[in-house]
Amino acid sequence: MITPDEVEHEIERFHSAHQATTEELRQAIGSATSESATVASILESYLMIASDPVITQSIVQRIRRGASAEAAVVDEFDVHKTFLYSAKDQLLRERVQDFEHVVERILAALRNRTLSHELRLDSVVVAGSITPHEMLFFKRMATLGVVTEIGGVTSHACILARDFELPAVIGIRNATERIGDGDEIIVDGYTGIVVVRPDDATLQSYQARAAERSVERTSRLALVDAAAATSDGELLVLRANIDSAADMKVARAVGCDGAGLVRTETMLVAFGRYPTPDEQYSWYKTIVDQAEGSVVTFRAFDVGSDKYREGIPHHEENPALGLRGIRFLLYRPDIFEQQVEAVLRAAVHGQVRFMLPMISSVEELEAARRIINRTITSLTERGVEIVPHLPIGVMIETPAAALLAQTFSERVDFLSIGTNDLAQYTLATDRTNELVADIFDAMHPAVVQLIAMAVRAAQTAGIPVSVCGELAGHAAATELLIGLGIRELSVAPSLALELKHRIRLADSRACARAVTDVLTCTSTTDVYSILQSLQSGNHGSTTS
Amino acid sequence: MIESIVTVRNRAGLHTRPAAMVVKVASQFSSDIYLVRDGFNINAKSIIGVMTLAAEQGCELGLIVEGSDEAEAHAAVVDLFATGFGEQL
Repeated sequence: MITPDEVEHEIERFHSAHQATTEELRQAIGSATSESATVASILESYLMIASDPVITQSIVQRIRRGASAEAAVVDEFDVHKTFLYSAKDQLLRERVQDFEHVVERILAALRNRTLSHELRLDSVVVAGSITPHEMLFFKRMATLGVVTEIGGVTSHACILARDFELPAVIGIRNATERIGDGDEIIVDGYTGIVVVRPDDATLQSYQARAAERSVERTSRLALVDAAAATSDGELLVLRANIDSAADMKVARAVGCDGAGLVRTETMLVAFGRYPTPDEQYSWYKTIVDQAEGSVVTFRAFDVGSDKYREGIPHHEENPALGLRGIRFLLYRPDIFEQQVEAVLRAAVHGQVRFMLPMISSVEELEAARRIINRTITSLTERGVEIVPHLPIGVMIETPAAALLAQTFSERVDFLSIGTNDLAQYTLATDRTNELVADIFDAMHPAVVQLIAMAVRAAQTAGIPVSVCGELAGHAAATELLIGLGIRELSVAPSLALELKHRIRLADSRACARAVTDVLTCTSTTDVYSILQSLQSGNHGSTTS
Repeated sequence: MIESIVTVRNRAGLHTRPAAMVVKVASQFSSDIYLVRDGFNINAKSIIGVMTLAAEQGCELGLIVEGSDEAEAHAAVVDLFATGFGEQL
C-alpha cells in the first residue's frame, strides 16, 4: 500500500511507464513491418491492449485507492485474465499470453523509470525480482551486489550474477520491507546470508574475508596454464558454458578447453526471431573461430519453459513439463532443420559437437536423427560444404533419460548431464520458485544415483560424459563428480579457475572411496557431511 | 438509445483481430457503445473488454448504443458482425 501523499507521484510513474511502453511498441511495429507482417500484427494487438482507455482509467483508480503502480497494473490485468481463462475457446484462452506480455512491458518500464532516477553508483540493489536486462544495467552501474525476493539459485538473474561475479542473494522473502534505503548491508553470496546494519565486529570480519578472497582470486590467475589434474594425476577436461563469441574469448583467456555448452537460445533473444540459416551460420562460425580449434558443443535450441517462447503455439499451464527442448524442435522441424544446417556448415571450421536437450525417449532421438540425416543429404545434394561427421549427444536432464542412459549411450557420441533440470524433474521442484527453493538440491541422493547411472552407462559404452549444470561449479560438488567418474566439466568462465584450483586439490582415489559411501546415503545432509569431511582432509594435506 | 442483438458469425470467434476491429469502429463514434453477454456489460471501445467477452462462433450478444450519433454507430457495429469481420464464416 502507498500513502495518500504518494498517490500523485505513483500515478505519474504509471503514466510515464505507460507512455514509454506504447512508444516502444510503436517503434517496434515500425521496424517489424518490413521484416514480418505477423510480428507487426501481434505487436499491434499488444499496442491496442496497452492503450485501452478503459483499462488505463481503471488502473489509475486502483492507485487512488492506495495500490502501488505495479500492484494496480498486475491486479487489473489479473481480473481480465480470469475471464479469458474460463473461455470455452482455446484460441481465446491463449490470449492470456498477450496480456502477460503487455503487463511485463509496463512493469519493466516502471522499474526502469525508478532505476534511472534512483540508482547510485557503488550501491546494493534490493528488489522484488530482477530481469536479465536489468542485470546488465546493474553491471554497467558498478553495482556492488543484489538481493531479491523472488527466484531460486538457478534463476536467470542468479546465473547472470555469477557470470558477472556480482555477489547475489536470491529468494529473501520481504527483503524490500526489511531493508531500508541507505541501510548498510553485507551480501554474502557464498553462504546466501544478508546482514542488515551489521555491528563493527561483523563488518570487520567480513572485510577481512573479502580481502582474503581477493588475494585468492589473484593467485588463481596463476592457474590459467596449469593442467586441470587431480593431485594424483587424473587429467580432467575443463570447458565453459557460454552464450556468445565474447564469452568464448573469455573462456579461452582463463584456459578453458573449448565450450561444453553453447546456449543457442541467446541468439534468438538477440534477434527477437528465428534467424535464417545464413545468420545462424555466421553466429556459430564466430564462436568456432574464437575457440581456436578447441571443442565447441552447440546445444540445439532449448525453447520453452522459462526460456525463449516464440513459436510455442499457446499458453501452457505447466511449461516446464510442456513443449520445450527436443519436443519443440520435433514439433517445428522447419526451425530444427535450419539450425542443423547452420551447425553442419559452421562445423567445417573447427571441432563441433551438437547436443539435444530435454530428451526423454529413444523415439525422440531417432526422430531427431532422421531430420539431421535428411538435412545432411539435402545439403550434400546441393553441393554445400559441410562436415562429414557431426558428433551427436543427448542431454541427460530428465529421470527418463538417466534411467535409459545405457540405451542412449549405445546410440550417441557423448552424454551431457544437465544437473539443474535433472534435479528439478527428479525432485518435482520448480527451480525458480523460492517457496520450494530449500527442496531443490542437486546433491539429493536420488539425483546423485541418477548421475551415477548415466556415468556408468557412458563408461560401459566408451563414450565421453560431461556435467554442464550448475552442480559442476558448486564448491562442494567437485569431489563428488570426480569420485563418480566424471572427467569432463563445463562451467561459467568466471568459475573455471576456482574449479581448476579445487580439482588440483582433490585426490581422485579418495573421491572414489567417498562416493561409495555417498551412494548409500539416504539424505542430502548425509551426502554433504561425507563431502565436507573429504574436503577438510584435502585442505589439511595442503597446509601440512 | 438503440438496443439489438448481434451474432458472432466467423469461425474463430471474437479473438484479437475481430475484437480490434470492433474497438476501431466503436471508437470512431462519440456514442457510448456496450456489448452485453450473460449480464456482463462491457465497453465496446475497450479491446480487453471485448476480448474477455470470450465470444465464440454462434454466440449472441446484446448491443446498446446511446449518444448523439447512435444511429450511425449502431449501423456500423451491426454491419461488422454481419460480415463476420471479413473472416471465414
